Amino acid sequence: MPEFIQNFELTAWWILAIKLIVVLTVVPVGALAGGYALHKVMAHLQHRLGPMYAGGFHGWAQTLADGIKFVLKEDIIPEKADKPVFKYAPAIIFIPILLLYLVIPVDRRLIVQDLDVGLFYLLAVSSIPAIGILMAGWSSANKYALIGALRSAAQLIAYELPIVLSAATVAMLAGTLSVVGIVEAQDWPFLFWPPGIGLIAFIIFFAGSVAEMNLPPFDMPVAESEIITGAFTEYSGMRFIFGYFFAETAHMIAFSGLAVTFFLGGYRPIVPWEPLTVIPGIVWFMLKLFVMVFLYLWVRPTFPRLREDQLQKFAWKGLIPGSLGLILVAGAWILYAPEWLWH
Amino acid sequence: MSVQERVSAEEAVERLRSTLGDDVGDVEVRFGHLDATCSAENLRHVMTTLRDEPGLRFEFFTFLSAIDRSEFGGPDKPDKHGGLELIVHLYSPAHVLHINVRVPLDLADPRCESISAIYRGANWHEREMRDMFGIQFEGHPNLTGIYLPEDFEGHPGLRSFKLPNRAFIKPWPGAKDPEEAAAGGR
Amino acid sequence: MTQIRTPEDVAREVAEGGLATQQMILNVGPQHPATHGVFRLLATIDGEILAEAEPVIGYMHRGYEKLVEARDYRQITNLVSRMDWLSGFNNELPLAMALETLMEIEVPPRAQWLRVVMLEMNRILNHLMFFASFGAELGAITPTFYAFREREDIQLAMESATGGRMHFGFMRPGGLKEDVPRGFIAQALKSVRQVIARLDQYEDLLVGNEIFKQRTVDVGVLSREQVMSYGVSGPIARGSGVSDDVRKDEPYLVYDRFDFNVPIGHSGDCFDRFWVLVHEVVESARIVEQAIEGLPAGPVLGKVPRVIQAPEGEVYVRAENPLGELGYYLASDGDRRPYRLKIRTPSFNNVSVLPEVLRGTFVADMIAILGSFFFVLGDIDR
Repeated sequence: MPEFIQNFELTAWWILAIKLIVVLTVVPVGALAGGYALHKVMAHLQHRLGPMYAGGFHGWAQTLADGIKFVLKEDIIPEKADKPVFKYAPAIIFIPILLLYLVIPVDRRLIVQDLDVGLFYLLAVSSIPAIGILMAGWSSANKYALIGALRSAAQLIAYELPIVLSAATVAMLAGTLSVVGIVEAQDWPFLFWPPGIGLIAFIIFFAGSVAEMNLPPFDMPVAESEIITGAFTEYSGMRFIFGYFFAETAHMIAFSGLAVTFFLGGYRPIVPWEPLTVIPGIVWFMLKLFVMVFLYLWVRPTFPRLREDQLQKFAWKGLIPGSLGLILVAGAWILYAPEWLWH
Repeated sequence: MSVQERVSAEEAVERLRSTLGDDVGDVEVRFGHLDATCSAENLRHVMTTLRDEPGLRFEFFTFLSAIDRSEFGGPDKPDKHGGLELIVHLYSPAHVLHINVRVPLDLADPRCESISAIYRGANWHEREMRDMFGIQFEGHPNLTGIYLPEDFEGHPGLRSFKLPNRAFIKPWPGAKDPEEAAAGGR
Repeated sequence: MTQIRTPEDVAREVAEGGLATQQMILNVGPQHPATHGVFRLLATIDGEILAEAEPVIGYMHRGYEKLVEARDYRQITNLVSRMDWLSGFNNELPLAMALETLMEIEVPPRAQWLRVVMLEMNRILNHLMFFASFGAELGAITPTFYAFREREDIQLAMESATGGRMHFGFMRPGGLKEDVPRGFIAQALKSVRQVIARLDQYEDLLVGNEIFKQRTVDVGVLSREQVMSYGVSGPIARGSGVSDDVRKDEPYLVYDRFDFNVPIGHSGDCFDRFWVLVHEVVESARIVEQAIEGLPAGPVLGKVPRVIQAPEGEVYVRAENPLGELGYYLASDGDRRPYRLKIRTPSFNNVSVLPEVLRGTFVADMIAILGSFFFVLGDIDR
């Protein structure tokens, strides 16, 4: 046996490397699968079949083929663009989304890093992509891109707050900021206990996350019939998919994972029945994840798009006061609810 | 608003004569539509009256166009040839009446007062007529080209503008080959 | 309607310590997803508010009015169906009627009834297209596919009779090219009944949606006075409470024999325009049903001379195109070709009112307004 392997100790570095490789493979594969689900779910909701040819069986390889096509395409950078900013913007959008996956517990022990301030970390990281969108919009030297970027920034400010506040409610009830701790603190019937609080927090979180990811009906920053593709109007090829398509799907899956973790009991069985614990947590997590992804995809073809000022009104007059009130209610529950009601 | 009172074309001719008198020339009825002529100086007055007179109420602006009659009837009937004529077609939704107001213009230097202040829809139609017939509408807020490129030569609506029927009547505007372009062509 | 800031307002704001801002010119089009064609809107925007919007047209001008002077009437019939490509059959009708008036041709009853059937089917095709595109412009992609499912059935029926899907070329002065094939009647009836049965669902999906209402109600209000002064017609005018419909006011063909309503809005906003459009589909389907029920037998082409040569005369004939009043001013000097054919297309007049309606709206509203003006570029630029 060579010497360097003999000296080899399974140090933290090696574990980290393995974890990174896992994340870096899982995320793109997940994003591709999410893209395929997007094609198919939308198609079937609209009396269509969606992709049927690529790969043979029901067009399973369609997103892969799309990805290859985009990677092979020429990377066009406008002459008047601010080139370095233009080039790095997609990375600044995509990398934070990858970082989100680090703290999502897929099973009790299956988590890249269980941070003590996991929730705080998640919320901090999830708002970085907006900076990338602003960079992309400003550096493109395109008026449509600029409008899209500014809309995106306005939307971020309005929608970070409801997400943070509803997550704060969850953290209050769980009594911890650790993501695994939050999952462990939840009990059946997850979302519906304490009555009302969990459900309302979930709805606020859902609405906020749809707006934050720029999905319809809150997709004004990329409204294709108004401002082409917003900040990504000038992008092409690989930068376009990493900044836009890939980021969107990966973001959607990440937020689905967060919603599952915060509200749906993460990797735990849906009913507290002893035989069900045989099924590994990862299966439960995936099942719940699919439900969440489907919810996001379902909203997408159903609603028309709101207007930017209507969205702001909805956020500042509806969601933010609502989530603040919810924190009060949750606090009252923690202080005054009798012990037997807790479980 | 809907149809209030259906007025026959003959009755409308009477009303037109009694309100406008000599401002309009001979009024005819052709295929159920009124047909009147007026001079370019009188056009604004006639239009305002047609729109506001309670018995007529030609409120709906249908179109504004022109005919160049310089070849009407073909080359063998020179007696039918005429000049340029502006046509304004109006409709009265209240009385279900149509009117064509014809304004003879000078073919060499067609000028007319703009009616875009009376019927705002005439704005674009007048710009179209400026493109197609070269008519200058005085008092128009923005008499620029609407259909044709800014550097287009000629007025295609006029009969003197012959259609190039699969043959170039003008040389190709740019360079025909790279050598010519290098030599200084566009 | 938002207040537009004048340069003086901005200067005052700056003096009071505000940020110095300036207006920006945004070229919407000629290639833009919301303009369905090569239409350009020169928009001066102040933030997200349109201070000025000037439509620039002519990118697709093909000079029909000059072209027809060198072509005979049979060729023209096929040429004009290319103006408003969504309603080809409707475009051919007024020209045929103008020739029939000048040449005093009598159209056999069966041809008249069949014309009504196909005109109204074509109207449904056109309206469903705008139903689809208006939803798509507001970000709702699903109505597109639903509307196209219905369109396909009707289109197949039309195709079986005419052989065309967009440019039918089925109209002849004096009647129709030929009788409809066997099976057409049943197919047409089935397809329009399906539209009536399913339209409620589509309406729920879009018109019943709260977001849709927020985006369209009180947006882009067009007043009755503007309708008249600009010569706006069709569903857009009727959305503003103007009840003019050529089919009712001056019935042509056999329209006075049918029982149908003219849907009328009252506030003139995007919602009412769209509401009128959707309900016209139902009325058209009802007309088709009635026309098929009462379809007489007989020839479909009247006594038409071999060479169509209109006698000297001038006539303006108009009809209710799906988008508004389409009229032809035909001046004939007795030749085989028209001396002058003025084509009065609905979209040209309808779109000319846009600068007034768009002033002071948001960029997002601009898209809703453009979508609710139901224009076809070929119809504007002809």
